[in-house]
Parts: sequence; structure tokens; C-alpha cells
Amino acid sequence: MATTGENSRWQHLDKILQRNGPFCDDSFTSGNVEEILGRWKILVIGAGGLGCEILKNLALSGFKDIHVIDMDTIDVSNLNRQFLFRQEDIGKPKAEVAAAFVMKRVKGVKITPYYGAIQDKGENYYMQFNMVVCGLDSVEARRWINAILVDMVDMNNPESLKPLIDGGTEGFKGQSRVILPTISSCYECSLDMLTPPTAVPLCTLASIPRQPAHCIEWASILEWPRVMGEDKKLDTDNPEHIQWLYEQALERAKEFNITGVTYSMTQGVVKNIIPAIASTNAIIAASCCNEAFKIATNANPYLNNYMMYTGNDGVYTYTFEHERKPDCPVCGNQATTFEAKGDWTLQEFIDRLKEKPDVQIKRPTLSTQRKKLYYQGPPQLQEQTRPNLDKKLRELITSGEEVGITDPGLPFSLRLNVVFD
Amino acid sequence: MVSSGTGQPNAKEKKYDRQLRLWGANGQQALEASHICLVNATATGCEVLKNLILPGIGKFTVIDDATIAEVDLGVNFFVDAEGVGLPRAEYTCKYLSELNPDVQGSYINDSLSNLITSDPTFISTHGITAIILCSPLPSHLVHTLQVMNPDLAIFHVYCVGFISSLRIFLPELCIVETHPDSLIDLRLFNPWVGLLSFAKNATRDMNAMSEHQHGHIPYLAILLHYLEKWKEEHGERLPGTYKEKNEFKKLLLTGMRTDVAGGIEENWEEAAAAVLANVKPHEISSGTREVLKDDRCQNLDQDSDNFWIIARGIAEFVASPDQGDGLLPLPGGIPDMKAESQDYVKLQNLYRQKAASDLAQVAQNVSQILVSLNRPETDIPEEDISLWCRNANHVRRIRYRPFIDEWMVDIFHAKAVYSDLKYNPDTLLPIYIALRAYQTFYDEYGHAPGQENGKDDSAELLTHARVYLSKVADMLKLPEDEEFPSTEVLRALDMWCREVTRYSGAELQNIASLTGGVVSQEVLKCVTRQYLPVNNMVVVDGVQSKSAVWEL
Repeated sequence: MATTGENSRWQHLDKILQRNGPFCDDSFTSGNVEEILGRWKILVIGAGGLGCEILKNLALSGFKDIHVIDMDTIDVSNLNRQFLFRQEDIGKPKAEVAAAFVMKRVKGVKITPYYGAIQDKGENYYMQFNMVVCGLDSVEARRWINAILVDMVDMNNPESLKPLIDGGTEGFKGQSRVILPTISSCYECSLDMLTPPTAVPLCTLASIPRQPAHCIEWASILEWPRVMGEDKKLDTDNPEHIQWLYEQALERAKEFNITGVTYSMTQGVVKNIIPAIASTNAIIAASCCNEAFKIATNANPYLNNYMMYTGNDGVYTYTFEHERKPDCPVCGNQATTFEAKGDWTLQEFIDRLKEKPDVQIKRPTLSTQRKKLYYQGPPQLQEQTRPNLDKKLRELITSGEEVGITDPGLPFSLRLNVVFD
Repeated sequence: MVSSGTGQPNAKEKKYDRQLRLWGANGQQALEASHICLVNATATGCEVLKNLILPGIGKFTVIDDATIAEVDLGVNFFVDAEGVGLPRAEYTCKYLSELNPDVQGSYINDSLSNLITSDPTFISTHGITAIILCSPLPSHLVHTLQVMNPDLAIFHVYCVGFISSLRIFLPELCIVETHPDSLIDLRLFNPWVGLLSFAKNATRDMNAMSEHQHGHIPYLAILLHYLEKWKEEHGERLPGTYKEKNEFKKLLLTGMRTDVAGGIEENWEEAAAAVLANVKPHEISSGTREVLKDDRCQNLDQDSDNFWIIARGIAEFVASPDQGDGLLPLPGGIPDMKAESQDYVKLQNLYRQKAASDLAQVAQNVSQILVSLNRPETDIPEEDISLWCRNANHVRRIRYRPFIDEWMVDIFHAKAVYSDLKYNPDTLLPIYIALRAYQTFYDEYGHAPGQENGKDDSAELLTHARVYLSKVADMLKLPEDEEFPSTEVLRALDMWCREVTRYSGAELQNIASLTGGVVSQEVLKCVTRQYLPVNNMVVVDGVQSKSAVWEL
């Protein structure tokens, strides 16, 4: 199997792809890189810490046709890990710079960047890919792409099922997982594994702060709109805005004898900064791409379906099968039951919904088959439905009635059977 | 790098913001003082360096005598077509250096074996902090390097096909900042006078309290109040068993008002939730006990490391009836809890003041020790002592076994291997053993085992594996009739030997990159002396997406 010239580049990959291994199942057909991976078209979502690694890994795994979406531009704080970017790239779109870099280094790979949001694209766009690899830092974007891919599955068309591989990191920890939409547990099925962002009650912020973070949140949630008015939007990337918040928070902390407010903490709280290093991104991105490679080549069995990594104390991984949720609002076929009290007001009901880790909505619109309960917009409808917020649930719905919930962040609607206990 | 702390971040703090939140300015400073050396600029090796250059190590050096071949282009991101035929050390050094202008890169276009002969002191003359050895290397070379540099941190890496392994040797490592999930120690069984009187005040006439007041008693005060009550009812004994703790939980929940909005009181629920984790006697962890009774803590001299001098100050604090009287210095932090701002701050200050006075005692002990060692009494910054005190129950001393003991199969090694193979049904040791056999094969033939030119080396590999296991059995003097290895282990070994042979020494970018991530995390932990590095072996299984660690 002597290879020469251009093709001798892929000798390492060919050694593995041209031979059967003891862990391969019957689906493995040996061949060379071009034969096996030439037809694959793969989408990478995110060109940040994970995305840069993913693009490099896929290109050097023999994938030829890669697309990448990212809506961000390069910031100085990316340079400690996003290794395709340099000082002079600051301000440029991540997707474009990353694609150009990898194409220059790895000859023969085609990477098509799109500088924009995943929500800009529809099913027609996503249908062209064989697989999607995600390196995202937002729960909302993950839920969106997950829902789209589940929705696209057409039982009569096997090509419509696109494996989704998702990675995430925080500090020395991370996880990677393989989702086969409608077949294995989807992102929405596991939403309750995330600790919901600890929402501090507004009354704590307003009257009884105890932590430096309470003072910072007070400054950004309550004080900024009060002083600046509705028109001037808080820009968490603007150092002057952060400086203002920092000063307000410091002042408030002094008033309550709270210590520990710093500029860095202010930035961390308002931008919800997650610590990130190159090493962990490398581990998780490579784990995702290893699964992508195994799915595409059958050179070994792929992950079923979740791997957690933590490097804080030695090295520890936990590999397990996350189970589907029969009442998953995205891939399940049963409506979820939600226990409520008939005495709750609609507002209270909404507040409880927001607290639920498997729901996580921000601005819900609620309705039943019979009536509109509360609409976030348009203004007339919101006006019309606002009085319902103070009404008791039993005045609005009957126990066991199905309530539909939509949220601007989600491409699907939740259906809840609300049962009074 | 000095952190500006309260003001706007400087340029460096901006660039490194996401990592400074993990290891702080002191971790960064340690990183910037390091010099990391790579032997063999394979894909894996370059990936390790990439992840260390990005966060800003001080220097790196690449040692490699290979020239870049076409085949490198398909697996290593730090070479390209223009480099084919050029020295791999020099070329990868150029591309790696571009990752971070703050890092100083250099290269030696030579092999480790030449270097050991021509410049045997190169490790110390170059000031190398840690060395990363990427297989394949003859095993005698690895052992020679270690014998010549017994204090050198060595990371020995294999990465072939879908699997990899990392063996770490570090000179004894003492870590203060291990970053446990929580540093909080509430000392509920050892309250001091000030804390008790706070709790008494906060829980006085609870029945007469308004709804607001009752719903804002800090849960710490609730716990302390009911612990006193429990003691009265149980002849001064505190709840000890799991069952008693649950009874205690029930007891305190009898005090919660349910006739309020929502039917529960958050602070009381917080108290109940805190019972299992916090209602317990103060206990000095085994890691800390090991440090405090270590010879170097007991027998200091003028050259003793600050770590041991502070440890001695802490040990004296614990031993003295007038100081800790069996307790470690208090870390001083408390968790957030529902409470009025002023009550919370008062409570927080009680813990902080106690921690400060414990720290002052320890600092005084440390000064006296320094004086007795003829060192200036302020030789150790108070900041370091304070850090030690806050982490006192989580400090660790890690000792590593030299490579040769593992390679020669000493009794410790044999026991570790035997018990994992025998008692762990999911053992990944067959991967380790296959890689050992791979090394033996490489030592003999100078190339990786494979399936090329109509030859299949897997049977030979399996033979090496079985020879190794019989060494383990001999060392343990296993009885004749004991089935070792079991048929399941043998079957797994056979599969892994065939899988490894399938690779014929090929490296995959994904596994190289994954391994580069794992190795670099371990190097970072060792250099910053924060978090806990593996002791001493980790195997990555990219077939089953798993990993395992052992001390071998």
C-alpha cells in the first residue's frame, strides 16, 4: 500500500483506516482517507476556544468540506487559548480568521465561514450537512440547534438524521457528548443536569445584600436602568460601563460593610465569565472530534453517549449513557406534568417555572387551547393579558389543562399539563 | 506580575483574564518563571507545548533530530509543506513561538541521546524546569536521564492510534492551594464564646419574632441553637451518626413556621440542608496529618523550605493547649445565607476575626522558628502564612516513584497491577500493559510494532505482555493454582495487542490533541503548584472514551 507525493501525507490515518481492528464492528469498511471521508460535509458551530481546536482537528482528521458559524469578533481575552488568533486580529470575525488560518496551514481542506448567528439559518441550510460539532458557550444556542436537528428528523429519510456532538468546558473540567436526534438523549433531555444560574431574589439585591456579587448585580440590574434610563443600554464589553458599575457596587458595598468588590469581579459577574484555558479546550474539542471521526469512519465504536472530564484532582473521567426523557419537550412524546397550586397567581406560576432547572425560560408567552394567558408582545396583546398576571391560576385554567409556553430564545414550545395539588 | 486588584486591568491581565480566575497572580508568576523542554516534536509534543505557550510559560526548548517528512503534514499542525526536509525542532519552534510573543522559544536540532553524551549537564545549564518526553524513545535513555537528573520533573508520553499514556515523575511536590470544592469550615462542634453569644442573641424569643425576623435568622445561628438543645437532651453528646443527624434535622425543622407565605421558611430549609455536610466534629485530614508529622516538618534546618517552616508553625498551633488545642487555624469563610445584611456581616466578621487571631498565633510561631534557625523573623511573607492557614486542611505532599522501580517491577508495582487486574472488572490496565510491550518491542527492533509488509507483530507483543505478567506473579509469589491473569484479562490483552499493532506507530491528531491537553493540564498543576496532579500514571482510551489512573 505504498503511497507517494501528496497522499503520503495521510499515511498515519491510512494505517488505521486500511485495517480492521478487534474493537471494530461489522459496519467498518476499510479504505483510504479520501474514500472514506471525501463525501462528508460537516458543520462546526462556534469558532472560539473549542471551535479553533475543532477546526484544526477535523482538518487533520481528513475531513475536506467544513463549514463554521460564529457571531463573535476576536477579543484580547481570547488570545490565551484561541490559538488561531493573534494580537492584530482583534476585532475581526472569529469564523473568518479561523477558517483562513486552518486552510493556509492544512492544504486541501475547504472551510466556509459564516459570520453570524445560527438562528439566521433554517432547516434547508442545516440539511446539507452530515454531522454537526458544537463548541458553544451558551445554553440558549445549544437548545436552539438541538431542537432544530431533532425537528428535522424524517423517519423516511435516514439522511435527515444528523449526529450532534457537543462539548463544553469550565476551568479544568468539561464534557463531551454524542446526540443522535430522536434516537438518544438530546440536549433538552439533560437540561436539568446544569445548575441553573443562581438567580438572587430581587429583594435581596434591593434591600439586604450580603455578598460583593449582590452589590454588583444591584448596580447592573437596578441602578443602571434607574440612572441611565431605558435608552442607554448596558454594554458589558465597554470598560467605561464596567467601571461605572464597579464604582456603584463599591459604594453600595461600603454602605453595608461588605468587602471584596473588585473590578475583575464586577466584570466576571456582569459578563458571567467562565474561567477557560487552552488545555481543557484541547481535551474536550479533541474528544468531540474523535467521536466525529469514529462516527464517520466506523474505525472504532463511538461514545454512547456522555463523557465528563475533570482535572482538578488528578484526572477523572466518567463515561455513561444519559437516558432519554420520555416527557422531553423536544424529543419526547409525552406532555410534561407540572404540579402547581390553584392559589398561585399567574405571575407566581411564571416565577416558579423560571426556577425549574429543566425549563429555564426567560420571557415566556403562555396560552391554552381556549385562551391567551400572557403574551410578551405585541404591545396591545401584552396590555390585554397583563391583568391575568395577578389572577389566581384556578380562575384562568382547570387542573390538568395543557398550557403552551413559548420563549423568544427557544425554537419550540413547551407543553405542560398543569395539575393543581 | 503584580495584580492591580481593584483598578482596571493592565494589558497582561486582560489577555490572561480567563486563566487568572483559576490560578491567580501567584500561579501566573510561577508559570512565567518556568522553562519547559520537549523531546521529539511529534504532533502530541507540539500540542502539549501549544497549551503551555498560550497561557504564558517563561521559556520552552524543542529537542529533536528529525527532519520534517511529508507524513508529518497529515498529523502535526505546527509544520507545513514549506518545511519538508528542514529540521523539525527549528521549524516547530518557529510556529509555536508565534502563539505568544511573551514566551521565549529555542530549539536544539539534535537527539536526546546525543545531547546526554555531548552536554550531560544541559538540564541545569539551561535551567529547565520540566521535560516532556514523547515516545518513541529507547527506555534506557529515559532511565539515564532520570538517574543523571534525579530532581527533574519528567512527563513521559506515549500516543499511538486511539490510545495514550502519561507517566509523571516529580520531585516531591508540596501543594498549599489544592482548590477543593469548598474551603468552608463552620466549626459547629467547636464554637467559641463570641460565636455562641451571637447565636444566642439571634435566636432569643424566636416565638415572639415577626415573620420577617423569624425568616431572616441566619441558618448558622439556627444550627447552633438546636445543637445546644440537642446536647441538653442527650447528655452533652452531639449528633454523630447518620441516623442522629437526620433526627437532628427533624428537630430543627420543628421550629420552622409553616403558616407563612409559601408554607416554608427559606433560612430554616437552608439550615436543614446544611446538616449532613456541616454538623460534624473538626477533623484533620489525612493529607494534612501526613504533612504535619513529616520529618522535614519535625526537623527543620536553615535551608528548610518555607512550606515546612509554616507547616511547623501550624503543627505547634495544633499541639499547643493555649492555641489550637487540637484544631487547625480557622479558614474564616462562611457561605451565603438568607439573613439581614448587618447580621450576615456581623457573623462573617466573627469568623474572620477568629481566623485573623489564629493566623496571628501561627505567624508568631513562624517568626520564632525563623529566629531559632538564624533567619530574619520576617523572612516569610504573612501572605504565604495566611494562604497556608486558609488551606490548612487541604494541603498535600505528593511523592513520586522513580521510573526504574516501575520498569523493573518492584513489589509495590506488582501489588498495584495485581489488585487492579483482579478486582476491577472495568480495568484499563491491559492498555498500559500493551504499551509496555510496545516499548519492549521498540527497544529490541528500533521501530514500532505493526502490520506492515505482510508481517503481524501482535503475537510477539502478546508474548512480551505475558512475560511481564509472569514477572508480576513471581514478585508476588502467587500460588501455582491461582489463575493469573484471568482468561478475561488475557482476552482483553490479546485485543489490545492487536489494536496497538494495527496502529503501526501511527499518531492521530485527535488523540494527540486530547493527550496534549491532558499532559499540559498536569504540567500546569505541577508548575503553578496548584490543584492536584496525577500520581503517577494516566491512560487515555479513545476507543471507549474513558481514562484511568494508577500509582504504578
